[in-house]
Amino acid sequence: MALTGRTALVAALGALLVGIVLPSWTGVGAVVLPLLAAVAADLVLAAPVRRLTLERSGDPTVRLGEATTVDLLVANPSGRPLRARIRDAWYPSAWAPGTAFTASRHTVTVPAGERRRLTTPLAPTRRGDHHSGKVTVRSLGPLGLAGRQANLDAPWRIRALPPFTSRKHLPSRLARLRELDGRTSVLTRGQGTEFDSLREYLPGDDVRSIDWRASARRSTVAVRTWRPERDRHVLIVLDTGRTSAGRVGDAPRLDAALDAALLLTALATKAGDRVDLLAHDRHRRAAVAGRSPAEVLPAFTDAMALLEPALIETDLRALTSTALRMAPHRSLIVLLTGLDAHQIQEHLLPQVPLLTKRHELVLASVSDPRLDELVHAPRTTVEDVYGAAAAEQTRADRRRTADLLTRRGVTVLDAPPESIAPALSDTYLALKAAGRL
Amino acid sequence: MTVTAPPPATAEAAPAAPPADPAPARSRLRAHWRRSRWWLLSVLVLLLVGGLIAGIPGGSVHDPLDPRSGDPHGTRAVDQLLQRHGISSRTASRTDDLAAALRADDTTVVLTYPDELSYQHLAGLSALPRGERTRLVLIAPEQPLLNAFAPGVTASSYAEPTGTAPTPSCTLPEAREAGAVDLGGQSYEGRPGDTACYPVGGRDLLLSRTRGTQQVVVLGNGDPLTNRYLDKEGNAALALGLLGAHPHLVWQTLDQVDHATSTGRPKSLGDHIPDGWYWGTLQLLVAGLLAVAWRARRLGPVLTERLPAVVRASETTEGRARLYRRANARGHAAETLRRAARRRTAAALGLPHTSGDPDPTALLEAAAARLGRPTADLQHLLYGPAPTDDAALLRLANELDDMEWQVRQP
Repeated sequence: MALTGRTALVAALGALLVGIVLPSWTGVGAVVLPLLAAVAADLVLAAPVRRLTLERSGDPTVRLGEATTVDLLVANPSGRPLRARIRDAWYPSAWAPGTAFTASRHTVTVPAGERRRLTTPLAPTRRGDHHSGKVTVRSLGPLGLAGRQANLDAPWRIRALPPFTSRKHLPSRLARLRELDGRTSVLTRGQGTEFDSLREYLPGDDVRSIDWRASARRSTVAVRTWRPERDRHVLIVLDTGRTSAGRVGDAPRLDAALDAALLLTALATKAGDRVDLLAHDRHRRAAVAGRSPAEVLPAFTDAMALLEPALIETDLRALTSTALRMAPHRSLIVLLTGLDAHQIQEHLLPQVPLLTKRHELVLASVSDPRLDELVHAPRTTVEDVYGAAAAEQTRADRRRTADLLTRRGVTVLDAPPESIAPALSDTYLALKAAGRL
Repeated sequence: MTVTAPPPATAEAAPAAPPADPAPARSRLRAHWRRSRWWLLSVLVLLLVGGLIAGIPGGSVHDPLDPRSGDPHGTRAVDQLLQRHGISSRTASRTDDLAAALRADDTTVVLTYPDELSYQHLAGLSALPRGERTRLVLIAPEQPLLNAFAPGVTASSYAEPTGTAPTPSCTLPEAREAGAVDLGGQSYEGRPGDTACYPVGGRDLLLSRTRGTQQVVVLGNGDPLTNRYLDKEGNAALALGLLGAHPHLVWQTLDQVDHATSTGRPKSLGDHIPDGWYWGTLQLLVAGLLAVAWRARRLGPVLTERLPAVVRASETTEGRARLYRRANARGHAAETLRRAARRRTAAALGLPHTSGDPDPTALLEAAAARLGRPTADLQHLLYGPAPTDDAALLRLANELDDMEWQVRQP
């Protein structure tokens, strides 16, 4: 049961009666006893809560940063009208900041035997699954003095997908891809390209691409067009360990890595390549393989939604062996990890020959713009100088580590969070143009 | 979109712009006044009310007929006269003091405000055995008091002082000595045997009843005793006669008469609060408990959530900077900055890329050519000794910065 403010108000007004008319126990009783009787009557006459049936509906997924709504259908099978205050509880990060209290409370009247739909607006602030809490119903009696209250179950889940903010870079990269493709004539023949088709010579075409044999068979001059290799395999490996947890700007490194992976996936799928995903720290966290081009991006976003950076050291040996199992044939392996000197030199370098023996390896790392800030801050105090020196030291370590990897045939990419996604796509396009897939 | 209307705020603000113009100043003053007048008014009202409250009790500290009071309605004059005649005078405010005074011998007791006594106390006091050679003076008593101390006497109408002083026309020695007095107030009718003086319209303004050596005097009002009227007619003689018959005189004073409790303790603030307030407060307490019950019941449980740890990626770098600072690692910091500057300068000058440090000779030559500075100077800057103090480190850092900036200039 629950009381309302009205009960307290009536009791407070009763103080006037007691104080002025009946200053005695009789007076107190004359106010309190009828009030209690009214409260009891309210409790008896309130619509039963436990017999309500709740039903949810709504879009179960939302991109992070966008708003969504969840509907709650309240059916009142009892013979009494339901006047209720309902709280549709969700965990705090499911609400747009500051709206948790107002948005979760509903005041509703459901006549006997009818249903009403309540809409709860949500705007998750964290990636991943958001589960609903209990639905609390406080059914008030006809006098509004007291009511029955119960917590009901109406489980629902909203999955907040990675926002994929780098989508805006996709059109320009697709245009670049088409330039690589045989559909335009600027393409030059090169290693890793395959014969596409013959077409009529147009002024401006490279004379070296004229196919004389084909020209002999027809009345016009025919040129060969080339297109990049298709049906290559790309494996994106996400390191979800300690280094991915570091917060760069106001999001962890992992979020920038996910964004880059999504852009690369969208681009590579359009380019006709097969893309698989592996997330790994000490154990395998997620793996998506063998999806058709149409469903690969939804499958990836769905799997990525649940990835959280773990504060543990990544087992690079296990990661390598899992990745190798997922890439039995020649593949482009894109490893999104940190350029942590110790970890790379101790644990990754011994694994690099295994990976590069058959595969093309790209290592992409999200750098911290804060280092640049430290280096380029005005040097007015000794603290500034030491800060700049420490940042230079960190950058030098990263560069040395990158050099070590480059010398072993790894393509290393070190870019700040806002440009890692386009940079990775450009690297992919460059590799593709060079026929290194 | 070609034309945009100016925002109205700017248009309004424009006339107020020149500060030398007196009109806006006046309007600003008026705005100030408009904004603050209610505050000023409320402060004024507060001061006024406070002054009034403070001023009210300042008028008179003593009650009328108080022997300590020099006010027109006080009785200090007659009290002083009596003391000069060798009569000891004291005041009694509490019931037990009064009772003691009534029991004592050779005492005159003046009940200046007898009606202030409660019935309970009245019954107690009138039942007391009175002392020998005593006189009890009742001033303007009402009927209950008369019943208690002078049974058979009835109070009748109130007589305004006529202006013409009534004459005693009785055998009471004090009245006969005093002659005409300026007396008014309540008039009384006694039983046969009582001495009645100063008749006004068939009733008497002074009654005296004697039982052995105990005498009760009923006086219509206390005016003849007061400072203001003591010198009128025979007032002084009557007052001295009535009050000076016995060597001890006890004045009843009002200030701490207790009529609610029989223990005679001083009244506390609580005694002045009506009962209704207590019960009303009790009911409010009940309302408060109900309000607590209302607020205490949450609409569902609190939901808690596990949030991921927030680690800034630059934490280690900034920690390293603090370590440098604590250890005063000037040499190390300078070398790090120099190495970074050498690498970037070499890149900017188009020297061949090396994974380690660029070749010193080539770098110095190229930089000297680019900047037009002596090689030794640059050698000192890029490969010089470690700075020995913080100022030198700061200077070095800024010089490296400047050099790099100059190299980058086209």
